Amino acid sequence: MQIWLNYVNQIMIMAALGLSLNLLLGYAGQVSVAHASFGAIGGYTIGYVVTKYNWNIIWALLLGVAFSLVVGGLIALVAMRLSVEYLILMTLAFGNVLLGVFSSLPALGGTYGIIQINNDPHAIHFFGWHMNKPTDWLLPLFVLLAITLAITWRMGESAYGRVLKGIREDVVATRSLGKNTFKVQIMVFSITSALASFAGVMNASWLGVATPSVFGFSLSLTIVAIVIFGGMGNLKGTLIGAVILVGLDPILRRVVKIDQTKSFLIQLMIYGVLLVVLMLVRSVGLIPEGRTLSSFVRRRGAGGRTEMSATTAAKLEPAFTTRKTEGAASQSDRHQKWEQAEVVLEARGISKSFGGIVAAEDLDFVLKKGTITALVGPNGAGKTTVFNLLSGNIIPDSGSVKLRGKDITGRSLDAAARQGLVRSFQDVRLFQRISCLDNVLFGVQQQAGEKLPTLFGRPGIVKQSDKASLDKAMEWLSFVGMQDFANVPAGALSYGQTKLISLARVLSTEAEVLLLDEPASGIDTKWVDNMLDLVLAISAQGRTVCIVEHNLHVVTELADYAYFMELGRITAEGTVDELTSSPRLAAAYFGTV
Amino acid sequence: MFAVTIGREIFAQLTVNGLFRGTSYGLLGAGFALILGVTGRFHFSYGFTYTLCAYLAFTLHARGTWAGPFSNGIPFIIAGIIAILATSFVGVGIERFIYRPIAARAGATALLAIFVAALGIGIAGQSLITLLWSQQSMGFYDRGKHVRKVGYHIWKVTYENLDLMQAITSIVLIVAFAVILKFTSLGRQMRATRVNPDLATIIGINSKRIYLTCFFIGTLFCGTAAFWYGLQFAVNPDMGGRPVITAFVVAFLAGTASSPIRIFFTGIGLALVEQWTSMFMETRWTQTAVFVILFLYLVWRSMSGTIFGRHLKHVVTFQWARS
Repeated sequence: MQIWLNYVNQIMIMAALGLSLNLLLGYAGQVSVAHASFGAIGGYTIGYVVTKYNWNIIWALLLGVAFSLVVGGLIALVAMRLSVEYLILMTLAFGNVLLGVFSSLPALGGTYGIIQINNDPHAIHFFGWHMNKPTDWLLPLFVLLAITLAITWRMGESAYGRVLKGIREDVVATRSLGKNTFKVQIMVFSITSALASFAGVMNASWLGVATPSVFGFSLSLTIVAIVIFGGMGNLKGTLIGAVILVGLDPILRRVVKIDQTKSFLIQLMIYGVLLVVLMLVRSVGLIPEGRTLSSFVRRRGAGGRTEMSATTAAKLEPAFTTRKTEGAASQSDRHQKWEQAEVVLEARGISKSFGGIVAAEDLDFVLKKGTITALVGPNGAGKTTVFNLLSGNIIPDSGSVKLRGKDITGRSLDAAARQGLVRSFQDVRLFQRISCLDNVLFGVQQQAGEKLPTLFGRPGIVKQSDKASLDKAMEWLSFVGMQDFANVPAGALSYGQTKLISLARVLSTEAEVLLLDEPASGIDTKWVDNMLDLVLAISAQGRTVCIVEHNLHVVTELADYAYFMELGRITAEGTVDELTSSPRLAAAYFGTV
Repeated sequence: MFAVTIGREIFAQLTVNGLFRGTSYGLLGAGFALILGVTGRFHFSYGFTYTLCAYLAFTLHARGTWAGPFSNGIPFIIAGIIAILATSFVGVGIERFIYRPIAARAGATALLAIFVAALGIGIAGQSLITLLWSQQSMGFYDRGKHVRKVGYHIWKVTYENLDLMQAITSIVLIVAFAVILKFTSLGRQMRATRVNPDLATIIGINSKRIYLTCFFIGTLFCGTAAFWYGLQFAVNPDMGGRPVITAFVVAFLAGTASSPIRIFFTGIGLALVEQWTSMFMETRWTQTAVFVILFLYLVWRSMSGTIFGRHLKHVVTFQWARS
């Protein structure tokens, strides 16, 4: 009986470790092989303070968790600014050195580790309750699992979790929508390290030992195997994975009758082979991310049609008629409208060079409220670079960018987005594995669920905010006519459709200034007209739009004003008619007159 | 803790130790950098191939009981060559039958998928070795019948014939590889694949074959380092753990696209630092020195503007720095 109880306890500890690693690895896509080492920090902390000073478990626990929170944060602070290889390297070296240091410190028992943690006179105690029987541990370990599950679930399956997945899929796109990914990455690494330490404290106290082998590489590997086997990005899978993989031990020892040392090695071998085979045949694991029976049915039901909803058609009607009636004849009116509109964004003397190549040289231009400005010019003129410079993706060497008089030069991509300047990408950069609706939800600003204190402290507000965000996202999705695709993953769409979702995502930020990079390129004529109506409608709402576009038809239809760029410089400006009537510019653009 | 007076003899001895140890680090680093740099595979089972080679060489040499000329085991040089070549083919097999299909399947998430699989191979391999042999560490030399250790003393510095042979092998391999990389068609194809695998394929380079070649050469370097280590010290199932980290650190410090010569000297530098720190600290702290160097390097990299992966072709995070 006691033996089975021990298995239950072990499953709870492994599940807790697996859940926190899944949040880091499966949701946020951050590879850490030091998860067991953070457990070791907790385990050794309690081992030391209990055997040496006979502390209450709760104080030891708080100390161990605090250690890992700080150490994890420091490691993340350095590693998160680098690419993923460095994080692997960092955590690998950290884990190796930590155990090396622990096993060479006499105070921590050297290579033998700290033993007899839970023996008199230093039994583990919780305000007078001495926990020395396996049954005593059921409740504390259940509390560990419950707390870990509550925290990881809340962080993973919420607006916060959506940002985590965004980091995994595409950091730059996530930042362009106003999310401070750097902060989130450090927080999630730090918190999951602390959770690992929590589990480590409980593991060491339950086993009564904290040794290098208990928290060694085999533990790290077992946790990784549980997460991968259960399914990355799926917490339920991790729970099932822990039960099955820990359950291997009694099966090998009792059913197949293999002795303990051999059984341990065979288990590790099975985990290893399992990882290889899973990667070869089923990398999503037992339960794939986001898969429940109901979502499966809904996905089946989603149609393949793209027709404008009645409301969208109504919204678009004014713009549509304007376009049809005014046509190209109204260029002078447009110019007048542009002249009268107020300046929203002003760029002065922007320059940027990469090595010897001048990408932008002394650029001056303005974007005005309720108008559409176009940047035109041949390939390599530096149009997209201008977007990168404005949005903070690249920091200019000199010059200034002012948004409503406020200097935003050199602000980061996400800070600029929060100030109300949002860009789209030429190559769309949708989050492939995430549904269209969730893609658009990314754009919604000021979501309560994206802030950790609110997420945990004020569930009511988060619920309201989630509902409001969802309505808003659905509204913008309908606006571009893609409401029928709400639950379809973005990766399943055609190119033209991704352009629409990308537009909806940018619109849902409700930013004042929108920089649209080739919104109509690569899509067929019928879709182009659809897109034109949408952009005109946005502009009619009083938003400031700037487009980069090669299609002259699109530019003529949309732009109130245009800047012509060549080799990083603005060489002409005016209405599109004025620009196209210049033979020199036409030659520069088309190559021939 | 601090040795106040540091004898010149100690310093000289540590320097010599560092130089010999460094040739092994350099070889490990160059092999790993070749694999990561050209193929982009985060080949964590590098440590497994290390252990495997040492065990194969040990078994052939110390336990070979064939009849005839080799009834007392195979001479260590021959055992070593067989083991190193066999392990190199294991490395090629890992690429061909595990990494390549996984990369084809995983697409954009290949880095993670391959790392996970490599982790799996590493632990499964290590467990298998423990099951087949034992957890105990075993000495080549005790059982060997053909190895004769000879110590040399010059001035007050001591070294062995095995140190010398190991250093010479490493230098020969590195120089030969540098020549191949620089002057042969195969080398040019490797460099082209490292810079841009897609473009290399378009101009007619068989990148699959190049990948396999890289795994062969990389594992050959790894196996050679393992063979000498096993011969000088002992073999045990965990022996691959530290070399793989050393290889990572050397490769990242030098840059995975650097010339093998430069990586080699980085390895020597790292070993020297490791040895010299033992003058100021107790030996058990010297392994921390490697981590401190790595940490400072990473801090410097994350602070300076050079984070756009100058020598990291497969940088996932910062792909947008194009106009």
